[in-house]
Amino acid sequence: MANENRKIVDSRGTACPGPITDLSLAYRKSKVGDVIELWATDPGVKSDTKAWAEKTGNKIESVTEDKEKIVIVIRIVRR
Amino acid sequence: MAKKNLLIIGSGDGGTILANSIDKSMYNVTLIDKSDKHVFQPQYLYIAFQGSKDTMVRDEKSLLKKGVTFVKKEVSRIDLNERKVYTTKGKPHSYDKLVVATGVTSDISMIPGMQEINSKYGDYHTNIAQAQKVWSNLNSFKGGTIVIGQSYPICKCPPSPLEGIFLAEELMHRKGLRKKTKFVFFTPYPRAYPAEGINEVIEPLLKERGIEVMPFFNIDRIDPAKKTIYSIEGDSVKYDLPIIVPPPKGMNIEYNPDSVRNDDRLVYVDKFNLKIKGFDDAFAIGDGAAVPTAKSGVDAHLEAKTVARILEGKDAKFNGRTNCPFDTGYGRGTFVIGSYDEKVIKYPVTHMNLFMKHMMAKIYWESLKGEFDSVFDIYFKETEPSRLEKKYGTGKE
Ligand SMILES: Cc1cc2nc3c(=O)[nH]c(=O)nc-3n(C[C@H](O)[C@H](O)[C@H](O)COP(=O)(O)OP(=O)(O)OC[C@H]3O[C@@H](n4cnc5c(N)ncnc54)[C@H](O)[C@@H]3O)c2cc1C
Repeated sequence: MANENRKIVDSRGTACPGPITDLSLAYRKSKVGDVIELWATDPGVKSDTKAWAEKTGNKIESVTEDKEKIVIVIRIVRR
Repeated sequence: MAKKNLLIIGSGDGGTILANSIDKSMYNVTLIDKSDKHVFQPQYLYIAFQGSKDTMVRDEKSLLKKGVTFVKKEVSRIDLNERKVYTTKGKPHSYDKLVVATGVTSDISMIPGMQEINSKYGDYHTNIAQAQKVWSNLNSFKGGTIVIGQSYPICKCPPSPLEGIFLAEELMHRKGLRKKTKFVFFTPYPRAYPAEGINEVIEPLLKERGIEVMPFFNIDRIDPAKKTIYSIEGDSVKYDLPIIVPPPKGMNIEYNPDSVRNDDRLVYVDKFNLKIKGFDDAFAIGDGAAVPTAKSGVDAHLEAKTVARILEGKDAKFNGRTNCPFDTGYGRGTFVIGSYDEKVIKYPVTHMNLFMKHMMAKIYWESLKGEFDSVFDIYFKETEPSRLEKKYGTGKE
């Protein structure tokens, strides 16, 4: 989408408290309609983001993984 | 070779260690701070929850080695392009190399209702007076609901919100008020402690002590009239006594270029060499830098040592190592040990670990001068996450 507000959150190789801090922060600063693309290396991010999406009612559009990173695309539908 | 001018802004944990560590035969070292008093911030916890009368403050000059020039001034503007640092009074300072170590401040304006409860109930992340306020409120508390949590996903000293509720619970137990008190801990994270390894150690303690946990709770606003805190996620909690960690924010200093800071006013750096993004002659360390690791004194310390080595022309790289001491109440504790590439260890809660935490506080003033460097070198090696992992693991995925 041309004018979609997509924000890349690069949380690769972060020490404690880790990627969930970045997601939580991006969510705080987001608006309905925004798309957050979370990049991480810690595999725990997948179950955490899933639990977060269930809790907040937001949408995980895709989860892809290669050797370098896990990419989770999230659409903010509720804030 | 002529000596170069090293300018360090901020004489807290990171700035002081760097100023003392750096080779004075290579650099003229100037350390600027708006205050000439050095505060050991971890003590706020014990002022707030145990009523400690020892405030742990020293004159900065007494902590500096020979060869460091201390200047008491407030920095208002840092011009990285012109290599000039402006202060609210007097002439600007020029430098060959710059290190910014200005820490963070509390920004209570970010959350509606926070101002009112912060001035009434205090907090233990801002200053001594605020921590004393927490203690006086806890001391006069007669029963009801104590609510503790962090108000923002970033928190100075990540274990500190949980340390607060553990110590508050212990206090009420000792005062015979435990049955009359409900404890609620809220957090923006999916579980009480964000890193799984430590969470697995902590969760049984929270259960055992009857502390309720509200995960995924990002404060949206506080209604002091209704004594209720609301989250962005749609939950709410009622309090009688709220002890809330305020949002941290980088210092209000103007930068040229402005783009070196994020919207929390933290300075973008390379996470390995701590150079400010786009600059080869300027570094940022400690709480005020956007380094993806815990905002802790241990990290400020290790980052300062890394920058000192780089400035001396040696090879050095910061690996994000954390080593946050964690007081879990009733005389026991643990440490949050991990790095950029190593998951946090499931490190056990023991009396010995709390003893270590208190010992590190006892030797803090000397360690600023580097007097325990050789001991710390051994300590950090012995507790490398890769070594500990074999013994303790890192919890489930
Ligand atoms: C309750 C609590 C418990 C903690 N427990 C622990 C613990 O157990 N272990 C641990 O490792 N860490 C702990 N910490 C964290 C630790 O205190 C900080 O991470 C550490 O102090 C950061 O060091 P720093 O050098 O980045 O900043 P600071 O120590 O905050 O120093 C910043 C300095 O910059 C100066 N400054 C700021 N702005 C300006 C300006 N414009 N001009 C001039 N000077 C300026 C300030 O006056 C200050 O002296 C705890 C913190 C709290 C609040």
